[in-house]
Amino acid sequence: MDTNQPKPTTEVLPSKKEGQVSHARNLSDREVVISLKNVNKTFYIREKGADSIREKVMGMFSGNSKKQVKAIQDVNLEIRKGEFLGIIGRNGSGKSTLLKIIMGAIRPDKGGEVTTHGRMMRLSLGMGFDPKMSARENIYINASILGLTSKEVDEKFDEIVEFAGLKRFVNTPVKYYSRGMKSRLGFAIAVHAEADIFLMDEFFGGVGDANFKKKSQEIFAKSFVEGRTIIHVSHQMPTIREHCDRVILMEKGAVYKVGTPKEVVPVYWELMKQQRNEKKEAGN
Amino acid sequence: MERIWLLAKIDFKKRYYDQGLGILWALLNPLFKLTVYYFVFTEIMSNRTPNFALYLFSGIITWAFFAQGTKKGINLLKNKKYLLESIQFEQLDLFVSATLSVFFAFLFNLAAYLVIHLINGIPIYATILFLPILILNIFILVLGVAILLATINIYLRDIEHLWDIVILAGFWLTPIIYSKEALLEKFYFLAYINPMAGIVINLRETVLYGRQPLYNLFFYDIVYAIVILIIAIFIYRTYAYKAAEKL
Repeated sequence: MDTNQPKPTTEVLPSKKEGQVSHARNLSDREVVISLKNVNKTFYIREKGADSIREKVMGMFSGNSKKQVKAIQDVNLEIRKGEFLGIIGRNGSGKSTLLKIIMGAIRPDKGGEVTTHGRMMRLSLGMGFDPKMSARENIYINASILGLTSKEVDEKFDEIVEFAGLKRFVNTPVKYYSRGMKSRLGFAIAVHAEADIFLMDEFFGGVGDANFKKKSQEIFAKSFVEGRTIIHVSHQMPTIREHCDRVILMEKGAVYKVGTPKEVVPVYWELMKQQRNEKKEAGN
Repeated sequence: MERIWLLAKIDFKKRYYDQGLGILWALLNPLFKLTVYYFVFTEIMSNRTPNFALYLFSGIITWAFFAQGTKKGINLLKNKKYLLESIQFEQLDLFVSATLSVFFAFLFNLAAYLVIHLINGIPIYATILFLPILILNIFILVLGVAILLATINIYLRDIEHLWDIVILAGFWLTPIIYSKEALLEKFYFLAYINPMAGIVINLRETVLYGRQPLYNLFFYDIVYAIVILIIAIFIYRTYAYKAAEKL
């Protein structure tokens, strides 16, 4: 396989880390914390969108006004405690939907089975924050929903703010925050809230702060020690290559390839190249 | 429990946060309504009910709690979608805290009512002991209806507008600005359909007049509220799983 493909210019070069951590860890004796069996998800989308009385009455006469979209197809997956799993794939390949299914926010079609053990938190940009409220209030809300008492949050509050580097903006409503600040805040809360399973949805997409990136990477490395499980959806291959034990490549809602980053990332580039070619052909 | 309290507190704060007069709006709104109704019904339509201002005010604030609390439920899941998609937690907590946050304003108004009550030289009767039960009764009712509406809203977005109409009709079919006799003599059955009628009537009987509540409505409304809440929770558990997907 051609591994010397030209990389898109947006690609960030991997950080120069000496002696990259080898992730050939044996996890097979650990307990399974997430298990998906025969998971399918079909969305029924109305052309007009909203559920209104008008649509419902019209639907009775005109028959099916719904469009079926198979967002997830036959996904079977077992994730063990402490694993760092990457999910990659093109836009619209079902990555985010899969995360929401694991979260339990979306229920799979009949016959599908999702079992999880441990407290989960999904991190995405702008996640979990009420834009009108300050970082202080958001920290309390999120942490308390994750099961911390106010007292525990009191104790960790400074640490969280420090970690996020938002000391000066603690009382500013989150709507004035930049993308980077938001994701820093989210990650800081998550790290201190001690969720067992993190679902990261394009989480570092907007973080440009090199300092924070470094800190986060340290946390990533540490999280293995603490036995946290991380599922990381990303387009940024350097992060995937550096941290993941296993990578899943999604394509059209199905698992296209599973394996180590070394095995899977090149297939991803292949797909991306195909897509570009298709676009070019369509353009001609 | 603590989480519910925290969410309610922050929600309450947020509601009055941006505005200059802050929490005072919770009181000013019913006071303005009171002024308008009082003017219309005493000056224009020459109603001579004694203590009509207090009579009106107690009705207005009680109804306002019901109207605001239930309306808040409709879009609650949509507004908190970011939480549903990010964190696993008991979602019914959201409804309890949202209802609590509206409830704070109601308590605030109730305190204002009692102040005016005393200023008018009306004693505090022993029957005020019914008040906590009545308050709990409304709370359970509002919570149940809010959960019910939120679940319906996932499948039928029109409920928001339909409910506006119900609230309007309910306001006029509850003896808020007219006497209880006017309703009960001719349309007693309406008090069985609309539990707020009995609650408003009994709140005045016990607090304003120092009389025994109408016991049939008193007990009926308690059972009504509890049944609604149980049905609402059942329906929520069965159908609300589509919230994150459809809203």
